[in-house]
Amino acid sequence: MHETGLAADAYRIARDAADARGGGAIESVTLVVGELSAVEPELLGFAWEAVVSGTPDARARLVVEWRRATQRCAACGEIAERAPGSWLRLCPICGDALAVTGGDELDVRSVAFEGGDA
Amino acid sequence: MTEIDVRQKVLATNAAAAESLRSGFRLTGTLVVNLISSPGSGKTTFLEATARALRDRLRLGALDGDIATERDADRLRRQGIPARQILTGGACHLDARQIEKALAEENGRLSTLDLLLIENVGNLICPTSYDLGEDFKVALLSVTEGDDKPFKYPAIFARAAVTVVTKADLLEHVEFDLGAVRDQVAALNPSGAFLVTSSRTGAGMDAWYALLENALAEKRGAPALASR
Ligand SMILES: [Zn+2]
Repeated sequence: MHETGLAADAYRIARDAADARGGGAIESVTLVVGELSAVEPELLGFAWEAVVSGTPDARARLVVEWRRATQRCAACGEIAERAPGSWLRLCPICGDALAVTGGDELDVRSVAFEGGDA
Repeated sequence: MTEIDVRQKVLATNAAAAESLRSGFRLTGTLVVNLISSPGSGKTTFLEATARALRDRLRLGALDGDIATERDADRLRRQGIPARQILTGGACHLDARQIEKALAEENGRLSTLDLLLIENVGNLICPTSYDLGEDFKVALLSVTEGDDKPFKYPAIFARAAVTVVTKADLLEHVEFDLGAVRDQVAALNPSGAFLVTSSRTGAGMDAWYALLENALAEKRGAPALASR
């Protein structure tokens, strides 16, 4: 379970960003989490609660923006639809091999906080 | 209330340390592989066989991540290669800072090699997130673990340049659909290599050694011995 360390890093990034703008308590932090980031959103939520408790940002909410990975066909360029948790072996249109693109995001996207100089 | 765009990678600190490691390894021409698997996949046995096969041809060393014991590094040292254990103290993965610290404490003994094998902590999920400055990741999957693992843990199989099936000598005793596993890995990672091996019988191991030697030659700018 590495989500605790990731939550702590995300919190530090968010707090530093708020500090740089003279911000007060954090209200929410939005994290982009990709399907292939090896992160379990639910565990991240628990870890987040543990990380912010006891800080001035104890009420900060974690908002997860989930990104699916897509499979792209180099030959016909179509992005194939697939059901969650299933992966296609070949392109349903032309039968060529598919490449997996995206889904490895793990980024602090935005921070909302009280006050601030903006 | 103020809302600001941050757009910063959560793993930025680790990524910076990994890049610094990577440029160091580029200077020394050291090929670095990061081996990731579940506990009990036979990773240490696989590395023991690798050490025995390559130690006379290459300068070889290992870093072994483990939560609490020195056992794996001891086993590799008995094969005559320098090895250092990194105790993570409960953490389920190695990170780039731990690699930097371990290499510094070895005073160059493990950073001026031909090949550095990093045996990550036994876990198919957490180590996937952490770049260690390696040339490529290797996912190991034993035939006793079940043939649904690649789709269950897509992150590692999508990112590993090489998937190694281990304990293939047990194939006849277990329910393990090798073709299904090959298909799952191909769907997640069409350009990845797929090897079927047995450390016990040695089956398939020559392809692994050739892959390492070709990757090393390629890193050093020499033409590969054979196309991979
Ligand atoms: Zn197509």
